[in-house]
Amino acid sequence: MNLSEVTERISRKLETKGAQPDRQKIESRLHRLVEEFGVNVNEAERTVTADLAREHNVTGVGNTSTELRPINEIVPNDWVTIEGKIVALTPPLSPSIAQTGIIADSSGAMRFVTWARGNPPAMEYGQWYRLESAVVDEYKGAPNLKIHSGTTISQMEKDAPLLPSITPIAELKPGVGSVRAKFIQEWDASHDRMLQTGLLGDETGTIKFVIWKEEGAGSSGTGQAAPKEPLGKDKLELDAVYNIFYATVDEYNGRLSLALNTAMYIADEGDIEVGRTETEIQGALVHVAPGSGLIKRCPVEGCNRTLSRQNYCPVHEIQPEFRYDLRLKAVLDDGIRARNVLMQREIVEALTGIALEEAIEIAETNPLGMDEIFYRVRNTVLGRYYTCSGSEFGGRMLVNSCTPIVFSPEELASLLNRAGGEPA
Amino acid sequence: MKPQGTFEREPARRVFASELRETRYQFKDGDDEKSPTYVILPSGIRSNRIFIVGTLTEKERRGDQNIFYRGRVADPTGTFFIMAGSYQPEAMQQLARIEPPAFVAVVGKPNLYTTQDGNCLVSVRVESIAVVDRETRDLWVLDTARETLDRLEAFGTTDDSKKAQEEYGTQPDLYKKIVYDALSQVQL
Repeated sequence: MNLSEVTERISRKLETKGAQPDRQKIESRLHRLVEEFGVNVNEAERTVTADLAREHNVTGVGNTSTELRPINEIVPNDWVTIEGKIVALTPPLSPSIAQTGIIADSSGAMRFVTWARGNPPAMEYGQWYRLESAVVDEYKGAPNLKIHSGTTISQMEKDAPLLPSITPIAELKPGVGSVRAKFIQEWDASHDRMLQTGLLGDETGTIKFVIWKEEGAGSSGTGQAAPKEPLGKDKLELDAVYNIFYATVDEYNGRLSLALNTAMYIADEGDIEVGRTETEIQGALVHVAPGSGLIKRCPVEGCNRTLSRQNYCPVHEIQPEFRYDLRLKAVLDDGIRARNVLMQREIVEALTGIALEEAIEIAETNPLGMDEIFYRVRNTVLGRYYTCSGSEFGGRMLVNSCTPIVFSPEELASLLNRAGGEPA
Repeated sequence: MKPQGTFEREPARRVFASELRETRYQFKDGDDEKSPTYVILPSGIRSNRIFIVGTLTEKERRGDQNIFYRGRVADPTGTFFIMAGSYQPEAMQQLARIEPPAFVAVVGKPNLYTTQDGNCLVSVRVESIAVVDRETRDLWVLDTARETLDRLEAFGTTDDSKKAQEEYGTQPDLYKKIVYDALSQVQL
């Protein structure tokens, strides 16, 4: 940051309060702090502003951090004073942390962390607090409020109702977000600690969500600070619409997901026409993965897991009354990136010309059984060029349409031009 | 580079036979035993997997104890030598079933060998092979032409292409000519 900019800002701030500060003095003090003492610019600005305010007997500017700021305007590296309500408390990940959670005001919400070293007073779920001189930094791509030993925490006698503003899914950023969304797809929990996972959608797009099982007896806080909320979290119901307040938006490998453990969610009326964000990729199909072709699925309502050859479902054990399905797990590769694609029955049928009934008949009469279908599918698609469009989740594209690429003489002509040789 | 802790499959590079034949430089990315081995292609990109489509012109079974199959796959610019051994039983059996001549698509790993008389040979260890049609072959020639031209146009600006310049003294115009000749053989 340019020091003259800062000078300008400080002097203007003081001028609005009727003081006549000397700009050269401001700049030289800033200079001294920044250049000689290696103080960061924000801190230098704060110090110089406070000093001058005192010298000119001005109040209300002082250090920038006592100016009350709305949460949604805070960016990393700001020193801030905010007033907000504790809307979530989560178990700290390390003993050096006293509390973690989410603090919200009417403008927005932000994750916070309180360091144990300053021995800060525990904040209570649902209460309003004024936090002076907290600092914001970035943690996992999201702004995070650090409450350190220099932060003043004071509880407020306030219980203003707080209505979080809803963010369209397509506009979510890492941090904290509130959405109104429909639960459109439930996925198998890929981890013991997962209570539920799947897909939420609104008009603008879709996002993966996770509800983790809560630690211990189902409370989501530590000891006395445990929030007065119901023990454990409820599962969402498929196809229902929810107002979800203060979910944690995480980013992993460039993809966002929502963790609902910090959130409050209430079923809402009405329906949502979910907008799908489709991407299109082209390339050669370079690999057909095991588990492609004809598969057996668990018949238990809502399960649908793939059974082993011995009809074993990892959850519901032996299921002789399985149902057959066709699918293709493959890799589409454009020479620059290799991407996993997953195609459902209708697509596989269209691509291979083998209908499910036919596949079942072949498998039941052929000595190779289901392998025969795998080989037939593989031999039809391997090495061929396709255009696939669909939506990408968890590093895999769920393909909604797949068409073979056809030879285009125009493409040949334009490449010949690019290669630029004399006509042979 | 790649994000940590996630596995990203190596893309299969598109390369013409006459370029692969010139490949001499191989390196390991990392010190681990399982670190991937790459070759640097003369057009200036690292590769540990390639995708080729051409005509399988010949195939033979070799070895007594350790059976393997060797084959020749021709593209408009030259010949690829492919190989599938008992470490890749699926690939070997796929190759065993194909009767030349046939258009084939091959996904495999490029390997460098030095023969007893000191010559350097590049062969492709097959991961998958399937019979395809002429249109797929033509699409591959266009695809490979496009990607080769992309690499040549970026030549000198990437680390891999600087390495290629050092190892091979690549003349981009020469490879452009190869691309042009390959495209000329595709029938409109």
